[in-house]
Amino acid sequence: MNMEKLIKIQLTNIILATVVGFILGGIVLVLTGYNPLEAYGALFSGIFSKPKYIAQVVIKSTPIILTGLSFLVAFKSGLFNMGAEGQYLTGSIVAAIVGSKLDFPGGIHFLAVVVSAVTASALLGAVIGILKTKWGVNEVISCIMFNWFLLYLNNYLITTPWLKKPNAEASYEIHETAWSLVAGKWKTTEKGIAALSGSGSPFAEMLLRTDLNYGIVIAVIVAVIIYILYKKTTTGYRLQSVGANINASRLSGIPVEKNIICAMALSAAISGLAGALTITGMMPHRLSQLRVHEGYGFSGIAVALIGANSPIGCIFSGLFYSMLEYGSSSIQSKTGAASEIMDLVIGTIIFFIAISSLFRIVLKKKKGESKHE
Amino acid sequence: MKKTRLMATMIIIACIFAMGCSGKKKGDADSKNGDMKDDYNFGLVTGEGGVNDQGFNQLAWEGYKRLQDEFGYNVKYLESKQESDYGANLDKFADEGMNMIWTLGFTMKDITVNAAKMNPDLKYGNIDSVCEQIADNMVSVVFRAQESTFLTGYIAGRMTETNHVGFIGAMRSEVIDQFEYGFRAGVAYAAKETGKEIDVDIQYTESFTDTAKNKSISTLMYSNGVDIILPCGATLGSIEAAKEMNKYVIGIDMDQRHLAPNQMITVAMKNVDVAVYEITKELAEGTFEGGTEHSFGLAEGGVGIAPHSDNLVPGEVLKEVEEISDRIINGSILPPKDEEGFEAFLKTL
Amino acid sequence: MNSIGVILGITLMYSAPLVFAAMGGVISEKAGVINIGIEGMMTFGAFTGAATGYYLDNPWIGFLCAALAGGAISILHAVACVNFHANQTISGVALNLIGTGASLYLARILFDGATQTLPLKKKLPKLVSNADGTISLDSTAAIAFILVVLLWLYLYRTKGGLRLMAAGEHPEAVDSLGISVEKIRFCAVIASGILAGAGGAAMSLAVVSSFSQTVISGHGYIALAAVIFGRWNPASVALACLLFGFSQSLVVFLGNGTITIPSQVLAMLPYVVTIIVLIVMHGETRAPKASGVPYEK
Repeated sequence: MNMEKLIKIQLTNIILATVVGFILGGIVLVLTGYNPLEAYGALFSGIFSKPKYIAQVVIKSTPIILTGLSFLVAFKSGLFNMGAEGQYLTGSIVAAIVGSKLDFPGGIHFLAVVVSAVTASALLGAVIGILKTKWGVNEVISCIMFNWFLLYLNNYLITTPWLKKPNAEASYEIHETAWSLVAGKWKTTEKGIAALSGSGSPFAEMLLRTDLNYGIVIAVIVAVIIYILYKKTTTGYRLQSVGANINASRLSGIPVEKNIICAMALSAAISGLAGALTITGMMPHRLSQLRVHEGYGFSGIAVALIGANSPIGCIFSGLFYSMLEYGSSSIQSKTGAASEIMDLVIGTIIFFIAISSLFRIVLKKKKGESKHE
Repeated sequence: MKKTRLMATMIIIACIFAMGCSGKKKGDADSKNGDMKDDYNFGLVTGEGGVNDQGFNQLAWEGYKRLQDEFGYNVKYLESKQESDYGANLDKFADEGMNMIWTLGFTMKDITVNAAKMNPDLKYGNIDSVCEQIADNMVSVVFRAQESTFLTGYIAGRMTETNHVGFIGAMRSEVIDQFEYGFRAGVAYAAKETGKEIDVDIQYTESFTDTAKNKSISTLMYSNGVDIILPCGATLGSIEAAKEMNKYVIGIDMDQRHLAPNQMITVAMKNVDVAVYEITKELAEGTFEGGTEHSFGLAEGGVGIAPHSDNLVPGEVLKEVEEISDRIINGSILPPKDEEGFEAFLKTL
Repeated sequence: MNSIGVILGITLMYSAPLVFAAMGGVISEKAGVINIGIEGMMTFGAFTGAATGYYLDNPWIGFLCAALAGGAISILHAVACVNFHANQTISGVALNLIGTGASLYLARILFDGATQTLPLKKKLPKLVSNADGTISLDSTAAIAFILVVLLWLYLYRTKGGLRLMAAGEHPEAVDSLGISVEKIRFCAVIASGILAGAGGAAMSLAVVSSFSQTVISGHGYIALAAVIFGRWNPASVALACLLFGFSQSLVVFLGNGTITIPSQVLAMLPYVVTIIVLIVMHGETRAPKASGVPYEK
């Protein structure tokens, strides 16, 4: 089967799964006494009725596109990275430290923050890889353990006098020089607020009222780089071949251990980038006391799976996922139906993507029937 | 093969149907408009705990519901699932034409100040933050929770038979500090008064959600001879331990005595509902004053011990609690809210 | 001496729900189906157990319903993995979302908008306990460990068990004997759902007496880790769960003492211990050969 056809089938599957997911969600809404049209109306008007809502969706999608890519990179090499959550935290912790403790001119500071955060989380990934190849510690276990370890580390660090902001259960904010907000400094000044709120244009409103940042651009670039890596380079080929058939790769002389470590490091680095970009791009630009995991890791897995394990697909599935997440609160505030209905819908969509061979059977049957007539 | 797949599909659909069917809608949603007056719209942005956290998010929502019942105002809430939702939720409410928006918890203070600056026509309120640099169209509310935990600490100090009580914290923060040091000061006060020496065990769970950990720590404390515990965080765990071992426990924030009527001796109430109700009402009545800090303590009825605590607490102790309460109100006792204050308080005893 | 009893009690309390869920994971993976949906199944079981237990006023019926609910929701996973040869990871992720989403959605409907249930009047009883807490054994803990023995006997000492393991190692061979691999795998997934549901209820009906949004937070993943940690052998998997429970009780015990370690650092202990033990054990972990591979005739 050629590539184009494969993509076409994947896309059809995803669209059909989405339709089924919404229909079944609608049925649940009807059965529990809500009007699904009203609910979905609220969902979509909550997403599309103003440019700034779309901007919110884009902002929210940045970290999960990246954690999705992170999961994908590991998955291609046959590794199951359940640790995006912890790697994300590594990135945000280092970003917060470098962003608040060091001084650099604007732009360079941002770069310093990103590079150090990515390096740190890549190291964590390498450790996970080494644990696996040297000591046979399954990456699923070490990832889950590191997730919790880093959660408590985060909570510990923000209590140390070195990092703790007085009178707050949080770290110091990073300096403005490390921000990645669009027009970040200007729009919080009195002048900026006056100019933006005076203009009345919806785009000015978008700029003023959201944390619109350059993160999404970086996420898209990363997706494209990953795409090229696997499509065009031998490094990408090697990384993938370890996942496809470990024994064959070993026989053909590919250093399997090295590639596993590299794949895990790369995967973790991308999750760390997500953490760094959240700190630089979004209020309140600091670490806070975490009560539970923020769920970026888990959303990332869903994003990678909806995106059919394609780097470019992750961009769209990330946007799609954050759209539904963001819109779900509108359902609750406009119709009173619990926002958890969207979890059910997303779950159903993923489930039908998993059993998408169903659609082929149904379609074939239809075709068969029409022939009989 | 095809048949089994088709069967399988049927099963799936049946399952999903069944999942939906198993519950019928009870009553109406909280935020339905119906024939209510819609003079005023009030919004509430909760923290990660959500509106049913059995704690201050839920209390705030109860204050709102009272406003709805009594005056027919429209009230709505949005739950934040993670910190990055705060701003988006505030913005959504601003678009929905709210007259006033409350945010809950000191973590939301900065973002609320920001929103208040951007929307000068709207009114904002934040619970648990102090009043430096807030906007003119915003109020901040702080609770002097140390005053109520002081009273419960006093009760614990008087009622302990083993001269050993416990405090279980969730994660250290200013708010939890108020609980801890208020409680310890109350115990110390009772110890001084009765001439006893009372040990206080203190342990933190590092979680607001791990009920098993709260239960474990409580079990350990009780078996070490502690007979009364004030827990915060996942308090259900401590309540379970108290029930299993038939020891005493003190409630926090919300009156949960119905969960353990024979073990929960009293509750250190934090009446967030009263604060939200009173201040929001001011707005409707036109007496709202922005840029101010409201401090709720015993005097204002913002904190206190649960009414009708006489079920388990002896009458004589309650009588003295009332006296102490008066002395806190008139300022002759100052319950400490942090470690520094606590050390100073001990010296005055 | 007192403390040892308490630590033992806490260890068992922590481990019991994990053991249930991990045994579910063992059955399913031994038969060749990866089940990362355990977390969702546990949550759904915890909710169903607490809700039915509350309305019917009987924790044992609640426990039973929880197991059934876990089994019911796992039908989805079974159908996807066995009948549709789906990617087992994708299906598992979907079940995590569906299980949690359904629990919270239904909780809001049945309990007046709350994401938690009202507490039961009676929870699952203790098998033995004394007033000072030095002896305490939940009946669920006892059931859990009986289950481990039964599962071990079933897997290694019965024909059915050997066939189940063969379905996860060499499905072709099983098939060539005229035994349906699909049937074995289907039943194994349902069984794993039943156990995961029971594990959830062991949390919501024995450790506490109600369901809340966070009563299951990561337990399913820890159980999953225990399955790998114990190398798919019920006895070692149960030991892994006990180790985890024990290190949690150490955290509680050390935090109570006079040693001044920041509580956040102390809280890391179980996770660090797990990794260190794994490094020390130092060995190749090998999953059942055909685990995760859909079987197509």
